[in-house]
Amino acid sequence: MTLAMGNTEEKLKILQVRHEEKFKKRLSDMGIYKDAQVKIIKNDIPGPLIVDIKGSRLILGRGQAQKIMVEGV
Amino acid sequence: MEKIKIALAGNPNVGKSTLFNGLTGMRQHVGNWPGKTVERKEGTFKYNDYEIKVVDLPGNYSLTAYSIEEIVSRDYIVDEHPDVIVNIVEAANLERNLYLTVQMLELGANVVLALNMNKAADDKGYKINTDKLSKLLGIPVVKFEAIDETGREELLQTIVKVSKSPKSVIDRIEYGTEIDEHIEQLEKIVNEDISGIDAPSSWIALKLLEDDDEVVEKIRESGKGQRVLSEAKKIRGHLSGIFGDDADAAITDARYGFIAGLMQESVKKPKIDKVTRSDLIDRIVTHRILGIPIFLVIMWLTFQITFTVGAPFQDLIDTGFGMLGDAVSASLGEGFVTSFLVDGLIGGVGGVLVFVPIIFLIFLLLSILEDSGYLARAAFVMDRMMHKLIGLHGKSFIPMILGFGCAVPGIMATRTLENERDRFLTMLIVPFMSCSARLPVYALIIAAFFTAYQGTVLFSLYLLGIVVAIVVAAIFRKTIFKGKSAPFVMELPPYRLPTVKGALIHMWERGVLFLRKAGTIILAVSIIIWALSSLPVGVEYASQESVTGQIGTALSPIFAPLGFGEWQATVAVIYGFLAKEVVVSTFGILYGVGEEAEEPSEEASVEEASGEPASGEEVSAEEASAEEEEAAAEEEEEVAPEEDPGFLAAIQELFTPLSAYAYLVFVLLYIPCLATLAVIRRETNSWRWPAFAAGYTFVVAYIVSFIVFQGGSLLGFA
Repeated sequence: MTLAMGNTEEKLKILQVRHEEKFKKRLSDMGIYKDAQVKIIKNDIPGPLIVDIKGSRLILGRGQAQKIMVEGV
Repeated sequence: MEKIKIALAGNPNVGKSTLFNGLTGMRQHVGNWPGKTVERKEGTFKYNDYEIKVVDLPGNYSLTAYSIEEIVSRDYIVDEHPDVIVNIVEAANLERNLYLTVQMLELGANVVLALNMNKAADDKGYKINTDKLSKLLGIPVVKFEAIDETGREELLQTIVKVSKSPKSVIDRIEYGTEIDEHIEQLEKIVNEDISGIDAPSSWIALKLLEDDDEVVEKIRESGKGQRVLSEAKKIRGHLSGIFGDDADAAITDARYGFIAGLMQESVKKPKIDKVTRSDLIDRIVTHRILGIPIFLVIMWLTFQITFTVGAPFQDLIDTGFGMLGDAVSASLGEGFVTSFLVDGLIGGVGGVLVFVPIIFLIFLLLSILEDSGYLARAAFVMDRMMHKLIGLHGKSFIPMILGFGCAVPGIMATRTLENERDRFLTMLIVPFMSCSARLPVYALIIAAFFTAYQGTVLFSLYLLGIVVAIVVAAIFRKTIFKGKSAPFVMELPPYRLPTVKGALIHMWERGVLFLRKAGTIILAVSIIIWALSSLPVGVEYASQESVTGQIGTALSPIFAPLGFGEWQATVAVIYGFLAKEVVVSTFGILYGVGEEAEEPSEEASVEEASGEPASGEEVSAEEASAEEEEAAAEEEEEVAPEEDPGFLAAIQELFTPLSAYAYLVFVLLYIPCLATLAVIRRETNSWRWPAFAAGYTFVVAYIVSFIVFQGGSLLGFA
């Protein structure tokens, strides 16, 4: 499934980040990379998501979240 | 006295600037990094027997070569050899923050890790063992609070101590045997072939494995890099074969792995995440339905407070200039010098300085919103709408809000947008946000024509600016800026109480731009207008026969279809290009405001007008009109009002209500002021964009004003 499909409070593990190099790098600098764990704080459709990653909160565009593959922990 | 050079580094929003302000106070210098559009802040302070020079590095998540800020930071560390780098990290967000720390250690920097906002970490139930963390990282770790003096002494002692210990390239970060071996292998070749690059060879090797553009380029330039580069390429291929991913992803993984190990040993976290106060506030503020109304209320309050609180200060300044003008006239008598001082300087610059309180207040409130973390929430809330309407994401919204204060900081804030297309598009629409410099013009015209509808008129102008921005952006999206908007990711910092000092410094930094403008551009323009209005020798001051009058008369037919074909209105628009508030000073000079009986009453109605986007203002309105009468009565005794038609009366002769509104619309939308164009030029590094911005906004302003005036005439308004 993609990150955009996750439910609020759900903890997920990132399997793959399907973004182009530059943005993938930016995401990994901010803590979103393969094998990292995320928790969904807010996922109201439509609109961006708020996720918790290593204790920090990130706003992530919905389109961007749809390109991140995750699985439940 | 011994000198120490330190740099503050860390992620955005960790309290770097707060510490910087705390250490240096007002002894700071803000400039740009040479050749870059990134702000460079420097300051000095004394501690015991040391004179410490501090540089505030840009907030970064990483030290790769992906953004100018990152390159600036790492070049500084490599080239300027600071004695100590104070790496400020948010204690509650240690793990992610350490990613940058690790990269600074790779660079061989002398780092002190400073944990900030420890209370938030306590609230989350984190227990950080600083001794253990220090041992594992091999650098001193200090707890402190940027907002007060807590731990400041210990931090400073540590800085002094570390400044005396020699730098050593650190080998204690382990990337795993596979990567470690290859780094060593490559490092050897770098040592043999490359000289003259002032960075640790292990770091160069690591960056080559990450395929860092800038380092690769530097190696290539050295002329002896063929062997190193081909070897690096080989190893990258080998690593990506093993890890099934790019080599740099593997290195990222290894860094996070190293950090996870550190965290395991030195930080105890509760099993279940505690819900913080920040989360509770966010449940309401970022609520899917409540979010936007809350945002609107906050913006409304911001403007309301600005105008209500600003009014008495404006009165004060206004009265001051009025008295100054009278005193000058009285002591010098009629004449050339008096005319220069009263018409030129007091009328021009004074008319604009009256708005300083409002401008500083709006910057203060915007700073508070920004420092508290609310603007990031506004970006979240507005993202959906921004996407739908103009294909920009929520992050572009922050520069637009700042544009309500002044377009210059708004345009500078577009630096946070990664994608150039988004950035340029945002820059082109920020000037449509009605900035505080346009307020004086609105206030003047409203006082002359729309006193009964001041709130509505003012609100309609702000709204019109936003609507035009949206329409223009949507058109640009489909034409010159085709394509998807940049991916959206930004940090949502926890709410924090803004400090008085921080907010004041923030306000000052931005507001002083306006003061400088008043002291330079507006002063110069006032003198020019005065001179052109007095020449050729012998003409009546500011009459149609003067140079000013002739220019205005020649160009005025252009504006006739918009309803304001009179030469005075044209002249004001021409000079207003230099700075929009100059429109008011031009009228001031043309009609000799400095010696006007009516002037104080005009200004009194100004606050009344601007403070009123909604009802509930009757009291202050009454007060203001009472003051107005009083002031007018007072003045009447001193100056004979019959000699002058009166400023407001003059304006009322110049326009009809309809043409006055068309004029306001034109002033709102037409060519951004000189300072804005200059900053667009600086930020885009080309004259093409400011030229385009000037051209297209003129067309937009002309069309919209034309529709307002001609449409209004057809509908029977006058």
